[in-house]
Amino acid sequence: MVEKIKPSRELIERWEKEDEEARRIRREKADWRFIEEQEPLIKLALIVYIETGDIYRASRIAGLTIDEFNEIRLKAKIPHIT
Amino acid sequence: MIGVLDACFIIDWCKYRHRELLEQLFATLFIHEETLAQLKSETTITYVSRLLSEGKLRLYPWSQIEEDEYLRLRGEIIHDPRIPSLERPDILCLIMAKNLNAILLSENTGIHRVTEFHPRYRGLIVWTALETIENMIYKNILNVSSEDEFLKLVKEYEEDTGHIFKRSRLEKSLRRIKSWLKR
Repeated sequence: MVEKIKPSRELIERWEKEDEEARRIRREKADWRFIEEQEPLIKLALIVYIETGDIYRASRIAGLTIDEFNEIRLKAKIPHIT
Repeated sequence: MIGVLDACFIIDWCKYRHRELLEQLFATLFIHEETLAQLKSETTITYVSRLLSEGKLRLYPWSQIEEDEYLRLRGEIIHDPRIPSLERPDILCLIMAKNLNAILLSENTGIHRVTEFHPRYRGLIVWTALETIENMIYKNILNVSSEDEFLKLVKEYEEDTGHIFKRSRLEKSLRRIKSWLKR
């Protein structure tokens, strides 16, 4: 059994603030009309990406590789934020 | 200088108008074949194929010892919900960069967070495109004579790739550039 290594409370608090700020920007910049026009799984994947910034999770939902999903992200005008 | 490429970095970087300058910054770049398998778009494939054919980019020879470290590291971090999901190729990149003493080129927030708290990976250097552009300036690969010129380069990257850098990170980067310009 591998022992879990956990981040400190201070780091977690900072990360949560960063995540909230990035989520706000993705929501603001997204082309919601384009997103609404997509087939259900792609639409869901784009929304998951907006909410989490997690391209792997979003690409899995869309049934695509991250490179293929990234092309759709660009069309939906959702910024990648680091 | 040796670099390790992860998929998130390369799929954005290959769209950047100055993408070819990466070859001047790094003597050798490494990629894992599982990262390579994530690349599908024509732009990315064209760029990566050229790097591979010129010998600038090499496939990393993965070993059983590294596979054991992958299982250990995954077990230590993978269930923490505050770390954006780290897929196998991301974790492989971390291990490769550590073993090669290389700079990991990654836009994956999860990767950056692991290097902030994990004792074995804390010292690992991870650059996003922002630090990559910054270091191209320090090495005179990209020339700027003012902060505005640096910001213009960053803006070009953001326009080309649909990628935004957090204000706090950009401010830190700008401070370092400012100090470098005064040298």
